[in-house]
Amino acid sequence: MGEERSRRAFLSKLVLGTQQVVENAGGHTLVCIFLRGGADTLNMVAPYGDPTYYKVRPTIAIPAPGKKPNSGLKLDDFYAFHPKLAPLLPIFHSGELGIVQGVGTDNPTGSHFDAQDQMEHGCAYGMPVNGGWLGRYLRTRVGEQLTPLSAVAIGEVIPESFRGSPVTTAIRAIDQIHLDLPAEDTDAVCAALSKMYAADVGILKEPGSSTVQLLKRVEKLKSKSYKAEQGAVYADDRFSQGLKEIARLIKADVGLEVACLDLDGWDTHFFQGGAEGLQASLIDQLAKGMSAFYKDLHAYNRRVTTIAITEFGRRIYENGSLGTDHGRGFAFFAMGAGVSGGKVHGLYPGLQDDQYDLGPGGMKITCDYRSVLAEILAWRKAPTAEIFPGLDMKPPGLIVAS
Amino acid sequence: MKRRSLLKAAAVICGAAPLAACEDFYSGVTRDMMGQKIPDNLELFSDINIDPIHHLLSRAAYGPWPGELDEVKTMGIKKWIDQQLEPEKIDDRACDVRARRFETIHMEPGSCFEFKKEVLRRDIVRHTLLRAIYSKRQLLEVMVSFWTDHININLDKGDCIYLKPSDDRLVIRKHALGKFRDLIRASALSPAMLVYLDGKDNRKSGPHDVPNENYARELLELHTLGVHGGYSQKDVFEVARCLTGWRLKGEWERGVVYFDPAFHDNGEKKLLAKTIPAGGGEKDLDRILDILTRHPSCAKYISTKLVQKFVADDPPTSLVESCAAEFSRTDGDIKSVLRVLLNSTEFQESKGGKLKRPFHFVVSSLRSLGADTHAHDELIEYLQRMGQAPFQYPTPDGFPEEPGPWLGSLLWRWKFALALTRGQVPHVKVQIRRLAKSICGEGDFDNTKLISYFLGRRPTDVELQTLQEFQKKCPPSIPSLSRKDEDENEDEEERPHDAHREELLGLILCTPAFQRF
Repeated sequence: MGEERSRRAFLSKLVLGTQQVVENAGGHTLVCIFLRGGADTLNMVAPYGDPTYYKVRPTIAIPAPGKKPNSGLKLDDFYAFHPKLAPLLPIFHSGELGIVQGVGTDNPTGSHFDAQDQMEHGCAYGMPVNGGWLGRYLRTRVGEQLTPLSAVAIGEVIPESFRGSPVTTAIRAIDQIHLDLPAEDTDAVCAALSKMYAADVGILKEPGSSTVQLLKRVEKLKSKSYKAEQGAVYADDRFSQGLKEIARLIKADVGLEVACLDLDGWDTHFFQGGAEGLQASLIDQLAKGMSAFYKDLHAYNRRVTTIAITEFGRRIYENGSLGTDHGRGFAFFAMGAGVSGGKVHGLYPGLQDDQYDLGPGGMKITCDYRSVLAEILAWRKAPTAEIFPGLDMKPPGLIVAS
Repeated sequence: MKRRSLLKAAAVICGAAPLAACEDFYSGVTRDMMGQKIPDNLELFSDINIDPIHHLLSRAAYGPWPGELDEVKTMGIKKWIDQQLEPEKIDDRACDVRARRFETIHMEPGSCFEFKKEVLRRDIVRHTLLRAIYSKRQLLEVMVSFWTDHININLDKGDCIYLKPSDDRLVIRKHALGKFRDLIRASALSPAMLVYLDGKDNRKSGPHDVPNENYARELLELHTLGVHGGYSQKDVFEVARCLTGWRLKGEWERGVVYFDPAFHDNGEKKLLAKTIPAGGGEKDLDRILDILTRHPSCAKYISTKLVQKFVADDPPTSLVESCAAEFSRTDGDIKSVLRVLLNSTEFQESKGGKLKRPFHFVVSSLRSLGADTHAHDELIEYLQRMGQAPFQYPTPDGFPEEPGPWLGSLLWRWKFALALTRGQVPHVKVQIRRLAKSICGEGDFDNTKLISYFLGRRPTDVELQTLQEFQKKCPPSIPSLSRKDEDENEDEEERPHDAHREELLGLILCTPAFQRF
């Protein structure tokens, strides 16, 4: 009851277009953060209990938990967070943030683009499936009256994972959704656009119609009226600002089912640093953004699940320029609704380089990335066998049984 | 001779005048004396299929400039292609007046360090955009964009912003229509690339040093063979070993590349089953380039990408094969491959099937209107909003060519089209009434003629109906185009806006068909 009331209260604060936008009120939202570039999760969830870790990373390893200013933050007797993940530590200990170790794809190319592509399509290597994994998921939700705000990518580009979705929108901020025309001309222009795009026989039909609908639905959502709750502060960087837009959409109950946003720059071949430096500043952005988002959405966390994924982890050992080259397995982060947190799940594969048939690889993969994604979707009652055809599903236990 | 002295005078005047006055002067000179004026009559099309010359100018150029179709028609398609393949012989001074005035684009790598980053970024982006809009060497510009993506460098990494201006000039523009191997070699030793993909830090100075694979991987995967080109992870490692020792000088000679044998792994290497003997030193680079650029996967990969760029996202195998054969036969001569490609039936038959990327959409909109711009921030901002601000793609694969990722850009395309025709993009001037008069003749707006001018074909029923319905709701506010009291030379901005007509033209630029090419 109370929750219902607060939703209404939020709605009334928004200045909306002619149509009311309350479809799917109270539905769940999945927020997918893609750490592009191959994040070195070995320095984010550092296996300080394994002496090999310090041997193969003499200059960049995160010091074991202790009194030193830059030491890792203890998660358990084996793993420690990177010090810049401090904002996420309380969420971890409260049981709302969980991690799976050793996740990855079977992609042997070592290519960012090929691995990202495969991962966003949600398939096994060399076994293409139609569309992206979120696109297929959203297709199973067509009975739910999807709107252009059901699937939102923050930014300018629609990610491959949304491919095939019945609806998608790419926006940097809600305030951009208008045509800058005199009010009396907007309707006529929208009608014209609607007619021309509806008649398109190619790929522009859907995005054109979606965009017109979007214009009609959200004519004005004023940025200044948005106030984060629980004292949450979003930093000025694009990542945090993007999360703020997502929070705003969630609170507006516009039927947001899936939101995607990227945090780029994880390709740390050179001078990646340890507790401080290049990678540390990215980790800082990630942690601050996620923790502000979590705080702000405190009242909504039972219906928001946030995940952070990357295309591959990095090489186990550091290279001659104090960075790391492309590797394999990585640690997967999930926060919020349904997550069995406070724990690093998955099998620690040890730090032997998992060689490809030819040439160096990275940390061995003990969990197919699709099993993790499928477990999350299964919790949302999605037909996972349809979304991940051919998957031999082995849920890592990241989701609390419900 | 007359023109040259005029340009000299312009330079003198502009040395003293405020910037805005200068730009007005350049605009006036290029419009009135150097052929950028909108002609009085424009060629139109009545066929249901896109006109072959319109098609050519949409693919091998950024869309027709007002009147350009007539020029190509007189000259013939084949001759136009031949001419475009020898860009140095095309008089491009009208474009030079606008685009060459940015000082940092002419500098040596080291000299740019004296400039602020914002200046460097603005200069190179404006230069690129202005060349795309105004250059008569259009095919060169299209290929510059192709290679800029192919061997992408993001200005925001490390010192790249200081080094990219010379990379643009000495790698991309110099070799855009040259030999593929020369292009890749120049890129391998380009200071900007050595920074962007960490080549300058790829070293072996002690027994435990492991090479930095960043550049080696992209050289194989993105620049030469393609991800399925048949190399292994071991090959990546071996190429990285071959390239150890290339470095950049510091403080006093910034931007100077040299080879340091003490940082080179001088052992024997194996690449794609070929042995590179020990002791090759800096010659290792040429050995690997010989192996890579002559590999059949390279010919196929580059040809596939070119056919995707110019013909179809799903490239016809027959054409890829003939381009690859030409690539191998000519040892990677880019001009020869383009000649085969542009003269092929597959090219001619592929009309209107590709989606313009935002840059192409913006440039073709400006060109079709014969717009006057000096590429100020407000215009660049639109590209940013659509996701394609030049030189700002973060990863080495460059802006995608396929349509999928761009399907979210319609909102900003519409916003841009409507703002442009309404004269609402700051510092961009369009002469809507003058253009409409050249298209429609004396009389009122003729929707059929307008659509056929912009789309290169007769309108569809839906297109016509849509515009008619729009006009019913938003009738023109000024009766007709033939008002006698209008002075042709008077600044169009001074007249009252004919908002609904401007929106109508904007709508044509918003059509699904204008997003395609």
